Parts: sequence; structure tokens; C-alpha cells
Amino acid sequence: MCILCGELVMHVHWTDQKTHDREYSNTVVVGELQRDRMRDRLRRVRYVNQILSFYGLNFKDWNGSRYLLSDRKGRQEVVGDLGALWPEAQKMSGNRIDPLDPELLAYLGGHDHHHDHDHAHEHPHE
Amino acid sequence: MITTTRMNTRTNNKCPIDIVTGFLGSGKTTLLGNILREGEFEGASVIINEYGKAGLDHRLIRRVKERTVLLAGGCVCCNRREDLIAELKNMLNEHQSGAISLDRVVIETTGLADPAPILFSILTHPLLVHHYYIETVAVCLDAVNGEMHLENNPESVKQIAAADRVIITKTDISTPENLERLRQRIVQINPAAHIQEAVHGHVSVPILTPVTGLLASRRATNQPPRDEKSDGSAAGHATNIRSMAIGFDEPLDWLAFGIWLSMLLQKHGEKVFRVKGIVDVGEDGPIVLDGVQHIIHPPRHLEDWKDYETRQSQIVFIMRDIEPRRIMDSLTAFQHLIGARPEIQEINLEPFA
Repeated sequence: MCILCGELVMHVHWTDQKTHDREYSNTVVVGELQRDRMRDRLRRVRYVNQILSFYGLNFKDWNGSRYLLSDRKGRQEVVGDLGALWPEAQKMSGNRIDPLDPELLAYLGGHDHHHDHDHAHEHPHE
Repeated sequence: MITTTRMNTRTNNKCPIDIVTGFLGSGKTTLLGNILREGEFEGASVIINEYGKAGLDHRLIRRVKERTVLLAGGCVCCNRREDLIAELKNMLNEHQSGAISLDRVVIETTGLADPAPILFSILTHPLLVHHYYIETVAVCLDAVNGEMHLENNPESVKQIAAADRVIITKTDISTPENLERLRQRIVQINPAAHIQEAVHGHVSVPILTPVTGLLASRRATNQPPRDEKSDGSAAGHATNIRSMAIGFDEPLDWLAFGIWLSMLLQKHGEKVFRVKGIVDVGEDGPIVLDGVQHIIHPPRHLEDWKDYETRQSQIVFIMRDIEPRRIMDSLTAFQHLIGARPEIQEINLEPFA
């Protein structure tokens, strides 16, 4: 259970499962992996935004524990992981999200031409 | 006795579950009876869904009546098998109170059972997922009637797609030609399945052990892809199964790959029967990825590559109604996020054509 919001976390999404040797260690030093974890979260947010920008949606980290999904009309939803993100994004986009959609793929292909450029401007405060 | 890499990578102490499935009369119970007499499986508890004629005497056998709970809004794979959940919880309680030892659980399903709901039930259960893991899904296929089952029963194709090991039974009463044709069909449906033959219910290698390596069956039998047409008796509904193996030229960014795959499964999970692979993420060992429809096993990080021939990512997809080209196009467009360019290693378009 999350002691701050009282929400039960019943299931860890597979994309949040441990995948590195160091995470299997028996002793956990407080704060030790926090930097890595935050860096990964921010990287995930950046990647997801490259995709969601095609649908006019925005994704951001919220307190290092949740994510905030929003659209241009100001609608906002809190999501816990990628398993919750995609269904919510489907709703906001009117069920348009499909990684096999040629239009999205063309957008990503073109987008990535300016990958470094975009990257520099995406998180100026980072 | 369980000294697999899967256990070694974990500091926790989960109990392995092996699932044995296959059509009625495919020889599941006979095979199981023989396996359970072997020393390694003496401590195994067995859950079966139906009464078989073959004797599984003097051992801990639980008979449960199949109780499936359809979850509102869920697809077929996301059903909960309440019977199994209850029984696995019972076993856990008895183990913790010292009444039984719990080294391994073997679940024998009814012939028509789709293995996906069993995986879903265990892997999404908040208690069970911490005490059990799925080690092997073994599917029995009868050498005499196997082809007929594959052609007429979509369930049978799904079982093969979900399998880690396929055991061809009753080989003693089949012809070598039939056997060869059946092997090729299995490989075309599931290039990652490990195929073994059983004679009179006996297999030479223990079947309930984890499979390492991918595309092993094709390499071992060294057969060219089938090119001759069959007699045209293939049923139309089964022809839309496609399987493919994809390699990558560079290590993958696991975070980005997870975004892509979770996005794919959210939209097309019901059509993706299986995703199985080893992923080079640029660390000392690969990540083992295994998913059946919407259900992805907790990815395992191996310490090294010693179980594999080459240090290269390889992912097998088994799909219904999705053209392999579309997966390739998508991965190609995502390559800057994922960090590697996909390349086709094997493609099976019409397993039944």
C-alpha cells in the first residue's frame, strides 16, 4: 500500500519489474537506487512523449511515483504505470493509439530525423 | 534439485509450476505418470482437472473442478481460474503450516483448456505471484491425430503457441512421414518450441525442465522450410497464424522496448499469441522475455550468455491476423527509441497452406 495516498498497489507491471542484477541484492541502502530510478522514469517520460505528441497528449512524471497524462483540452488523469497509461491514452485519443499505424510510424520516422534537436529543447530545466 | 538459471537469478524462493496440457487422448496422463515416477519429481504436488484412467497412485494429487471466472470487459485470455487459485493457496497454507513440502507443482489441464488463463491467474494474483513462478508449459500432441486437431481446433493451435515444449506422443503407432509432417507444422506455428517425441509414454529427456535457447527445434532437425502444398484439406480458419523471429543489430534499450511492446499488447494483445525471446540490453547477461497474449512473465535477467550460441537478441512472435511486415515496419520506425534496427531471421506465413 502507498502510505501517502492509501492506494493498494496490487500488481507490479512487467515494465517495472526488476531486470538488473544489482536490484536483486538482499540489502537495500536507502536512496541508493533512487538516482537510477528517477533517471529511468524521466527517460521513459521523454520516450512516451515522442509517441504521444502525435496524438496531442502529454505525459509527465508526478512526484516520482505516478505519472500525469493530459490532453490539450486540459483533461488530466493520474496513471501508475504503462499498463494503466495505454488504456487511458486510448480513451483520451478516441481509441487511435496503435503502434502499427502507418501514420504514426511515418511521424516517428520524420520526428527522429530531428531527434537530437528535439531532445535538447524538450527538458531545458533538466 | 532445481538448479536452473531461473532460480539462480532470484534471491527469493518461489515454487516452480509446470503446466501439462494437450487434447483429450493425447497421452498427458500416461506421460505424467511416468515422469512423476522419476526421482526429481518425487516431491511434486499435482493438480488435475479430470479423472484419467492411467494411474497416478501414491502421490499427492488434487482433483479440482474447473471454475473459470470471466472478468468483466476482459478478453478470453484474461479469465481467472478460481479453482486453481484456491488450490494453490491451499497448498501454500499447508506448506507453511508444515503439513506438506512444496518443491514443485504440476498442473494437468483438461484437453480443451487454453493455457493463457492459467498463466494470467497466477501471474496477476497478488499473493500467488510472490510464491510461484511458471517454469514450463508442456503440450502433448498425438502423432496420429495431431494434424487433425491443429487443422480443426483453434484451441489446439493456441496450446502449441503457448508451449515451451511440445511432446509428440504415440509415435510408436505413427509413420515416419506423418511424424515429420507434424514436426514441421509445429515448428511453423511456434519456432521457439522445443519438440520431443515420446514412445509408449516415455521421453528420453526430462520434459518438465526449463528450455534454454531459441529456435532450437529447427536447428536440431535441420530441415528446410516446407515448400510442397498439402492435399488442400486444411481448414480455412487456421491459415491466419503467422510466426516470425526477429534479431537486432545492436543491444536494445529495454525501457523503450517495454514502451513499444506494452503499447502493442494493449492494442493487439488478443492477436499476439506469444512473444518469446532473449534480449541483449548491453549488460553481462540477456533479459529473458516471455509473454502469452496480454500476459508477460516477470522478465528474468540472466547473469551471462552461456546458455546461448551467440550474444544476440532474438524475439519470436506468433500472431493471428497480423502481417509480420507490419511488426517489422513498426520496429523499424521505433528503432531510434529502441536503439537497434530489427532484422528478420525466420518467417512462417502459412503454416497450414
